[in-house]
This record gives sequence, C-alpha cells and structure tokens, in this order.
Amino acid sequence: MVEATGVPAGLEPGTPPVLRLAGISKYFPGVIANEAVDLEVWPGEILALLGENGAGKSTLMNVVTGIYQPEAGEIVMDGYGVNFATPQDAIRAGIGMVHQHFRLVPAFTVAENIHLGWEDTPRNASAAVMETRTRELSEKFGFPVDPKARVADLSAGEQQRVEILRVLSRQARLLILDEPTAVLTPEEAGELFRSLRAFRARGNAVILISHKLDEVMDISDRVTVLRGGRNAGSFETKACSPSMLAATMVGREIVRRDLRVRPPGAASVSATPVLGLSGAGVRDGRGVMTLKDVTLELYGGEILGVAGVAGNGQRELTELLTGLATPDEGRVLIDGQVASPGAAAFAHAGVGHIPQDRLHSALAPSLGVTDNMVLREYSQRPIGTGPFYDAAEARSLAATIADIAEVRVPGFEMPVRNLSGGNQQRLVARREMRISSKALVAAYPSRGLDIGAIATMHRYFADLRDSGVGVIVISEDLEELLNLSDRVAVLCAGRLMDVLSAEDASIERIGMLMGGKVGHMPGVQG
Amino acid sequence: MTRFQRFPVAPTGLVLFWRAAAIAVAGVIVACALALSGRNPFELAGLVIHSTVGSRFGLEDLALFMTPLVLTGAAVTLTRCIGLWNIGGEGQFYLGAVGAAGVGLYVSGPPILILPLMAVAAMVCGALWILVPALARAWINVNEIITTLLLNFVAGFLVYWLATGPWRDRVTGALVSTGRLPVAIPEMWGAVHYGFPVSLLVVCALAGLLRRTVWGYEVRISGANPGAARYAGIPMRWRIIVVMLISGALAALAGMFEVAGTVHRMQGGMANNFGYLGIVVAVLARGSCMAVIPAALLVAFILDAGIVLQTQQLAATTVLAITGLVLLLIAIADELAHYRPVGGIGQGKASA
Ligand SMILES: Nc1ncnc2c1ncn2[C@@H]1O[C@H](COP(=O)(O)OP(=O)(O)OP(=O)(O)O)[C@@H](O)[C@H]1O
Ligand SMILES: [Mg+2]
Repeated sequence: MVEATGVPAGLEPGTPPVLRLAGISKYFPGVIANEAVDLEVWPGEILALLGENGAGKSTLMNVVTGIYQPEAGEIVMDGYGVNFATPQDAIRAGIGMVHQHFRLVPAFTVAENIHLGWEDTPRNASAAVMETRTRELSEKFGFPVDPKARVADLSAGEQQRVEILRVLSRQARLLILDEPTAVLTPEEAGELFRSLRAFRARGNAVILISHKLDEVMDISDRVTVLRGGRNAGSFETKACSPSMLAATMVGREIVRRDLRVRPPGAASVSATPVLGLSGAGVRDGRGVMTLKDVTLELYGGEILGVAGVAGNGQRELTELLTGLATPDEGRVLIDGQVASPGAAAFAHAGVGHIPQDRLHSALAPSLGVTDNMVLREYSQRPIGTGPFYDAAEARSLAATIADIAEVRVPGFEMPVRNLSGGNQQRLVARREMRISSKALVAAYPSRGLDIGAIATMHRYFADLRDSGVGVIVISEDLEELLNLSDRVAVLCAGRLMDVLSAEDASIERIGMLMGGKVGHMPGVQG
Repeated sequence: MTRFQRFPVAPTGLVLFWRAAAIAVAGVIVACALALSGRNPFELAGLVIHSTVGSRFGLEDLALFMTPLVLTGAAVTLTRCIGLWNIGGEGQFYLGAVGAAGVGLYVSGPPILILPLMAVAAMVCGALWILVPALARAWINVNEIITTLLLNFVAGFLVYWLATGPWRDRVTGALVSTGRLPVAIPEMWGAVHYGFPVSLLVVCALAGLLRRTVWGYEVRISGANPGAARYAGIPMRWRIIVVMLISGALAALAGMFEVAGTVHRMQGGMANNFGYLGIVVAVLARGSCMAVIPAALLVAFILDAGIVLQTQQLAATTVLAITGLVLLLIAIADELAHYRPVGGIGQGKASA
C-alpha cells in the first residue's frame, strides 16, 4: 500500500486517492512534455487540469491512459501501483478518456459505436439487442442518446454524449475529459456539467482539462496547474480566483490592454469598404438557404465582430468572404469591385483567412513546418519564379514567420502536427497577417487557445487594424467580441440581424439578437 | 542515462544502415532455410553472386531488370505524392507495349524517327489507359485502387489477343507473339540498351519536378491534406488528373523499353509482374523519387537471384517468399531508424 496523504474532508481516513501520479516524466525530442509531475484525484471530486498550450496536459493524460509510456514515475490507483501497457489495460482498470478529437465511427449507429470493441458485447448481438442495451445504459448513466441515429448525423454535443456513454458503460470510475467544451454551445456545456455532477455524486472522479476559467471555477473541486510540463501547484477551487489561476499558469501577471484604444499614429478607418457582401445568399446541397440576403461592409482600419450561435451561417459567411465559395445570390466585393472567384484570387487580392479548424484546413499536419509556412506565398517571388520553386527561400520565409510569431521550432522538417495547438495557431495567424494587405477573416480564432495565446492573438488583430487593415472576427464569445470590435454584426438562422456600433452593443442586446425572434429555435431553417 | 527515443523523422543514414542490416539478416535466414533443406548455402550464394553482381552477364541482367522497375516504381511513387495508389502499372505497361509495337510494326522509317515515335505512342496509350480512373477519381471520387487494378486484366487479355490474333507473327507462324520489330533501342553495353540510362534520367527529372517546381509543391500539399489545398485555392482535380496521366505514361514507357530494347516483340504475359513489383519498389523508396533507383536495384537483384535459384531446382515460390521476407525485415528496419539514443535531456523546454 502506498500511503495516502491529506485525505479530503468527507472521506474516511485511510481512503486512498482514485489516482495518484508520482514523479511522472515524459519527453519528446527536444521537448520536455512532462517533468516530475505529482497529482492526486480523490473519489467524489472533479479535478480541473489547467495549463498553457503545450504545457503537457494531453500528454500527461495519454500517459495515464496507457497511450504513452512514462520515462519515469509511478501511477497508483486505489493505493496499488499499476502499469498500463495499452489503453485497454487502463480501460479495464476503470479509467475512461474522451479525447480532444472524437474517436467514433461516423458511419455506424450510436448503439454500434457503444458496443464496438467491448468485451461485454454479446456474441452475434442483433441491432435490436444493441439498441435496447444502449437505451438501458443511457438511462442508467443519465446521458440521453438516440441508439438508432447515425453518428455522422449528430451534433458535436450529441457525439460527445455518445463518447462519454461509451466510456461509462465500460465501468469507468475515473473519467478524463480533454477540452470537452471547446466545441459545445453554452447549452450543451450546461447539460454536460449537470451529468458530470451526477457522476461525481455517485462517488466517482473526473479530470477535466479546460482553458475556460469561469467554467473551471464553476464545476471543479480542486485545480492542478501545469506549467512547462511541471506541476505548478494544486489548489482548492474555493481558494482560487480566475486571475490567480491565470497568473499561476503563465508564471506572471497577465496585463490586459484595452485593445479598442488606438495608439497615436494608427491608421484611421477607410472611407470606402475593403471587403463586402451585397445581398449575398448561399444554398446548401438540399437547396435550403443557409445564408440569406446578407449585406455587410468591412472598412479598412476597423475590427468587425460577428456574433451568433455556431451553425447559424458563420461557415457560409467565412467561405464567401475568403473566396472558398461563390454566392448563389448577390455579390462579394473587394474594394467595391466584384471579386474574381477562387480562394487563391482572394488571397492574392490581400484577404487573409484564419479558419475554424486549423489542423484540417489551414495546415497539412503531416508535412514539415517549411511546407506549411509558404502555403500563401509559394508561387510568388522569391520562392516561386515562374514554374520554379526555391526550397532555400522557402526555408528562410518559414524561419522569418516562426521568428515574428515567437515560436521555437525544433526542426523545420518536423511535421507541424507535433507543435502544440497554440503554436500552430500563432504560425497560421502570422502567415495570414503577411498577406492581409486589405482584410483578415478570422473564424473562432481563440478556440483551444490558452489565455496568454488569446491575448497575443488579440494584440495581432489590433496591430493589423492600426496598420489600416480590416479585420473580421467570428466568435461565440461575446466578451471577446466586445473587447475587440468597433462594430458587432449578429447572425441568426442565416440572416444578418443587425450591426451594432461598439457603444450600442451590450451582451444583453447581442444575446437577444442571437436568439432571433421570440419563439424561434436558434438554428438554420429553410 | 542513455535511452532510446522515437524521433518523428528518420535520418537517411540510419535508414540505410538498418536496411543493410535487414538485408544481411534476410540473407542469413535464407541461407539457414536452404541449409536445413539439405542444400549448401555457400555454394548457392556463390552462384547467386556470380550470376548477378559477380560477372558481366549478371550485371547486364541486373540492368535489364532494373530498367522497367525504375519506371514502374516511379509511376507508383508519383501517385503516392498526391495520396493515391496507381495499382495499374501492369496494365499501363501492356498498353505501352501495344503502342510501341503498333508503331514499330506498321510504321516504317529511320530508327531515329521511329523510336521517339514509339515512345510517344506508348506514353499516350498508357496515359489513355489511366484516363478513366483519373477522371473518376477527380470528379466523382471513385477509388482509384480498384479501377486501375481491374484494368490490368483487361490490358493483359488485349495483349494476348493482339499477339495471337491480328498482330500475330506471320513469318514463323508461331502463334505466341508478334513478329520481330524492325527497329530496336541501340545497345550500349552488352545487352544493356539505352533505355537504362534514359530511365534513370527520367527519375531524376521527376524528382526535380516534384521538389523544385511550384507544381510539385502543389501536388505535395494536395496529397498531404486536400482541405489545405482547397483552402489555398489549389485546383486539386487538375493536379490529380495530370499526376495520374504522367504515372500511366511512365509505366507505359517501361513497356516500350521492354518491347523495343529487350524482347523485340510483343507477347502475352510479357509484363512479367513489373507493374506490381513497381508497388514494391515504391514502398521501399518511401515516397522519395531518388530512392526509387536503389530500391529498383534491390528488387532486380531479388528477381535475378530467384531465377538462378530456380535453375537449381528450387520452386518459383521461393522467390516470392524471399521478397516477402526482405520486405518485412525492411519495414522493421525503417521503424528502427526512427529510434536514436538520447543522452541527458534538458536542451529544450516545453514552450507555450
Ligand atoms: N507526438 C509528439 N511528438 C513530439 N512532440 C510532441 C508530441 N506530442 C506533443 N508534443 C509536444 O509536447 C508538448 C506538450 O504537448 P501537449 O499536447 O501535451 O500540450 P497541451 O497542454 O495538451 O496543449 P493544448 O492546450 O494546446 O492542447 C508540446 O510542446 C508539444 O509540441
Ligand atoms: Mg491538448
């Protein structure tokens, strides 16, 4: 027996923690992902795991669930040392993890996904049997799902419920969630938290990774902070404040500058719009209008926020403004002229784009940093001269971008997927800023970023604005929008509800517009 | 403390080292197996070496085997760059043979004109043979592995039919092949014809095309992430089509060299699995064009060794078994090359 120290109030003396990590270290080439990390989770508590991008949170949890083997250190469950050679061992021991990126089979039904690769699945189980079992499980654990639905047709929140149910049905006593709310709407996040509290009430434990401090303050009992791969402290949540947690994560106080104030010498707002839509509409594959009659103008030297619940036309709007899609109705204008179609033409005209999921569209994860950094300039001098491509020039451009983005790149041939999420986002942002001579379209730029990285990103946007470029920021985070924007546009069900100036915009006002007319479900309707 | 750690990139030197070790191990295993079955492995090894690298005839044979393998290997490597598999090298090889033989047999003129014309006809035929799979892939997303593979069988029968039917040898009436072509690729060194150096040059040109042109960069991005290609406005469909057509033309060129340089007539079954072995070559070359050359040399060596062993009353399947063994060990070697010892750590820190 390993002795447990400091049993929390409410547990019998001598109760061991569900999980105790002692001196866990995990290294990658040139990177210390985790170094001598200690951590404890007790029965009946929710532990929040905090840290900057690249602090080693996901890596540590991958060690706990047997995906990586630690270089040093000990994993103790219920007082007994354990050693997980494979993820299956960890599942058998009662640890369930829901990853940052879902791991379901989209073409299978919910019931099939739940029963996939599960020792308890009855042999030759029919679809009906699996559906009944799934329904029972769903009631037992309080995670409502539709067993017959195909996973591909579910929303992010529903898919996550399936993931969690899948893990719980394997008798997990410790549930690990890696940034579960990053892709959820506020309502879905609220539902998730209700279920997590019920799970905790049954004496189970949860480790929750999140970058959202208010959410951490709301749901967790204790907080462990990682910094540079090391444990920077564990605290009772009651004794914490968001600013103190942020300072512990970053290792210094975060000073927030009021970004709406322009420094002397900043460019003034241009007289004519640099980018705009006039009566633009988009139809989806089934002929339903997903964006209807939107007229919007972006001026140089301003930041225009776009608010709205995700899925209300943001994707279509972004695609129109960056040339990825052509409108079925209306026009897209650059500098007042009808824009020539195509993403390359828009980039060439000086419109940059930070897309929503950088790993799937802005980067080629398996290629090196160099290949990824020249994606916007490979056909221009000095890299591309006529048909020829100059690899040495490409390398030097990549070094330049990494330099101004303040990202330390261990090797420029290294696949870009090995960089942490925050570093990828910084590189993409800097790459796009270089070509944004007129406008920059940023969709959910702070998703998955830590507070420090978000502050850096916002400073970038303000710098661009001060140099006379128009910036569109699409976000669900109203505070972020109000901090940055000169004007806020609100989308609901594919319609532009209104464009408010910063003075008129308030969270309440925007919130009402986001909900659309009273009695309407927020969502896309035909 | 010294530990071994897996690095994401395997340095070429280490890959070569471990592969050499893998081939040595494969040699030892084969020798042991032969010894157990009552053969004298040293005698056989001597024979194999003599008839491959150890004699002029052996070297000529190696070069003749290498020529088509380099081209079919390059054909598969090229499609790998855009994330596709051209499994139809065998069929395109046959179509190349058809195009070349058609011109060679029925167009007369000086060889200096006829040979380039044969090459062009062969490459056009090969490109046409892959055109439908390429269009289907680019526009309606039909899996190219299946379409290119199925066309191989069609091409095989087409050549049988032509060689024993309309184009059959009317001089000897042998009913198995076309007549001897009146033109031939000139020989440069014994039986080795100029197709050999040309195939090496083609691979070098291809490597340059992929590494040193804007087009090559676009192919690389399209292959690594179609989403990123769309984001950057790269016309991916056109890249797919052109890549697949070039790939078909390369495999067809191998067919032309075989007809006009080595066999001098067209006959059924003449592709000799060179199209399929191109896949093996491409896998060994790990996506790098220049590495196709040593990979083709290795496969040529195994083929040649297999033929020697067959003359010693060993079953033809032995060659397949040896190829499989070498591939398995090389796959292990490639994985091992990712590991390097690390001494102390602390040169880096986890950065934000
Ligand atoms: N497979 C890998 N190979 C090399 N380095 C890696 C690998 N996985 C992670 N790293 C590095 O280890 C460090 C920690 O990464 P990790 O993904 O654990 O961070 P994180 O705290 O989860 O960050 P985020 O909040 O961005 O998800 C980073 O510097 C990252 O670049
Ligand atoms: Mg992570």
